[in-house]
Amino acid sequence: MSQAHIAAGADPNFLVETSHDLPLVSVTVALRMGALEDPPGGEGSVRLLGRLMRRSAGGRSAEQNDALVEGIGAALGADVTQSTVSFQGSVITRSLDRFGEFLVDALARPALPEDELMRLKRETLAELTETLDDDRSLARRWFRKRIFAGHPYGRSAGGTKAGVEHATIDTLRTLYRRLVVPENLVIALAGDVTADRAARFASDLASALSHGAPLVDRTPDPTMRPGRHLVLVDKPERTQTQIIVGGLGSHPSDPDHFPLSVANTAFGGTFTARLMQEVRVKRGWSYGAYSSLPYDRRRQAFSMWTFPKGADAAPCLALELDMLEKLRAKGLTKAELAWSKRYLVRSHAFAIDTAAKRVGLKLDATLYELPAGYYENYTENLRAVTLEQANSALRERLSDENLLIALVGTESSVGDGVRAAVPRLASSEIVPYDTE
Amino acid sequence: MASNRAARLAQLNGTVPEWGAVTHVETAPFGNRLKLERFRLKNGLEILACEDRSAPVVAYHTWFRVGSRHERIGKTGLAHLFEHLMFNEVEGRASGEFDRLLEEAGAESNASTWLDWTQYNIAIPKDKLGLVIGLEAERMSRLVLREPQVTSEKEVVANERRFRVDDDVEGSVSELLWATAFEKHAYRWPTIGWMKDIEGFTTDDCAEFYRTYYAPNNATVIVVGDYVESALLEKLARAYGVVAPSSLPVEDYRAEPPQTTERRLEVKKPTPTEKVAIGYHAPALGDFDHLGLSLLVDVLFGGRASRMHQSLVRKQELAVDVRASVGPFRDPGLFEIFASAREGHHAEQLLTAIDKELARACEEPVTNEELERARARTELGLIAGLETVEGKASTIGFYETVLGRPAAAFERLDAIRRLGPSDLLRAARRYFIDTARSIVFVRAELAGSAQKAAE
Repeated sequence: MSQAHIAAGADPNFLVETSHDLPLVSVTVALRMGALEDPPGGEGSVRLLGRLMRRSAGGRSAEQNDALVEGIGAALGADVTQSTVSFQGSVITRSLDRFGEFLVDALARPALPEDELMRLKRETLAELTETLDDDRSLARRWFRKRIFAGHPYGRSAGGTKAGVEHATIDTLRTLYRRLVVPENLVIALAGDVTADRAARFASDLASALSHGAPLVDRTPDPTMRPGRHLVLVDKPERTQTQIIVGGLGSHPSDPDHFPLSVANTAFGGTFTARLMQEVRVKRGWSYGAYSSLPYDRRRQAFSMWTFPKGADAAPCLALELDMLEKLRAKGLTKAELAWSKRYLVRSHAFAIDTAAKRVGLKLDATLYELPAGYYENYTENLRAVTLEQANSALRERLSDENLLIALVGTESSVGDGVRAAVPRLASSEIVPYDTE
Repeated sequence: MASNRAARLAQLNGTVPEWGAVTHVETAPFGNRLKLERFRLKNGLEILACEDRSAPVVAYHTWFRVGSRHERIGKTGLAHLFEHLMFNEVEGRASGEFDRLLEEAGAESNASTWLDWTQYNIAIPKDKLGLVIGLEAERMSRLVLREPQVTSEKEVVANERRFRVDDDVEGSVSELLWATAFEKHAYRWPTIGWMKDIEGFTTDDCAEFYRTYYAPNNATVIVVGDYVESALLEKLARAYGVVAPSSLPVEDYRAEPPQTTERRLEVKKPTPTEKVAIGYHAPALGDFDHLGLSLLVDVLFGGRASRMHQSLVRKQELAVDVRASVGPFRDPGLFEIFASAREGHHAEQLLTAIDKELARACEEPVTNEELERARARTELGLIAGLETVEGKASTIGFYETVLGRPAAAFERLDAIRRLGPSDLLRAARRYFIDTARSIVFVRAELAGSAQKAAE
């Protein structure tokens, strides 16, 4: 990675897609590890590090760096997930060189000053308070926290107040030395840039960093607590509820990953899928009703998401549970399978219609260690799915007995109804909305 | 090319239905690389076509020149409810078939409604463009409106309102701000409508709205992507050529009288921190000063290097977030500011700090460095918005519908290079008028809860 010259295609950690349609270049510099590296008790440390690197690039002040990036016609953010840190930016072509120099400063020469960390911590704590206004993000946070309880995926990549307060400049500098080494770097450029120019850009960046040990993701696979469990996040004056229901989902290396993806699309992946038809179109209970099946380096969660008004929360939840049971028991119909496959295969055109999107898929494949040819053979793998495979995947991978239900609402108005709506409810807890 | 096109159109026009004759109106550049072709059907339907072969896909937009401004008191939210109903059922097809056919073809479709317009967007692999044209032409003239669907969709919209407004602090405060700042103009009610009005709509209300506004002479079709012009025009002429134009009503326009005294409101919300929303009356999108004010607002509020972010978030540590925008509307709208206080600080402190910076903007011109930064941010925003065919079609449709100039995004980009500090200073002095502003203070009912969380 740190050789003087990196050639596109020769190094799996350097990706480029050229398109000269617009004078715009998208740049992503990603690290192969993210919040999983947060130290014990220090949730949010890696995110603080990413933000502090951007602010203190080249030893300049945050004010100078903000003015520099915005002044050249660029935008840059540091996005942290459990498994990755991504410095994602875009820049008008004429400023690509200066943007590259800035990224070298951010990655290789951040000052990481303590006074700026203190300021960043105060800012982050205030932002965490502000997220309490967002019911959807509260529901997501509690779903993840409870379904992955005891597993690193249950921690918050964005951080907690206790974790942010716990972070010190020494911790962050240690994290920096471990994480930000060429061995952990993946660089992707797309747009108005030639392969050679992009390779020089990547070489300049990688060669500016000190070498270190590649980090290996040793996170175990998550397991699911048996039974149906409810966490009701109690927030005052809600006219509506946010409901997320789910269990363990898929992993890209599962032999039935593509069959399960096809089945999920038919169940809750689009507007005409079962869930939307039953919840929104027939009953008008929720503006949105979707199911999702995301991936990560370890098994992620399958979940359904709806947001009915308080009076409809219990019947909506009961309906979702019933639909999940029927889905597993009876499976998809032949027509649903054919429709779902056609939709997924044909709509893939919109996952690859720009250079930035194409390079984004390659970047995902590298960062999430997807099986070889995952996206290259994506549509063929979808086409090959049979009804038997899809229905078998539903029975094998999804559970209607081991489920986590996270609901944000006003307990006094929805609690009793919601608890009564869940047959065989193993446990139920009420947490104030402002609990960490 | 022009004579070939003329010959092809002459041949086509001899074979199309009554209202399908196509006229080529003009060719105009769309940026450095692309061209926009404007056509018009005999029934008044405007067509803007932009060939872009960067991917084998096409974006197909239909923009209707009807929005919530065309509603009346007691019937607010009808344009938006109607947008939902347009996905239900057309004559000769089962309910829901529209979406099923599109999704099966791999399409991504959606719609949106705002003060001045309603738009329907579909992106589709290029080989299914004909399907989209047929479906869109059908629902422009043969929509079926039945009681059960209208009732169910009203409930969906009520839930959307709970999501976006009633349970959302910023959504509800913004709605209140506009209702306070405007007394006569139709911009005073929210596009999603008041809940009581949503609950009260009848199927007849919807049918009347459809007959009145969903006509080819009140719409523009925008096609961007990989298509063959002659085949496109033939399909459009045949599909829409059977749709007769309507007699469009004269808008019951109510001019907003000048605001001469500041208006202040105070509300309590279930939120842990105080907020403030401020609305100054602002110029229409087509006004010469709109761009100068937009650039000034970017200097003051845009990005982390902006004056407000530096002052309120970084230096004084009063705010979590402070942002602003100038409404992109056909009539004068609002320059809207929203700021959220950190714990232990009050909305009045935010207002004082914001006022100080607004006063400074009225006293001294912005620096050249600040102006360059605002220009660069604006340019980046425009270019990034044009990456996909969808982005291009949205940009064309928006400027065509609001200004009647589909490539106005590029005109604005040229114009910002000509604007100088004087233009921004003039905008500040013309529009930062305290007696012409409205303020909503948000008191935090849940103050102190965040501190509890940390303990």
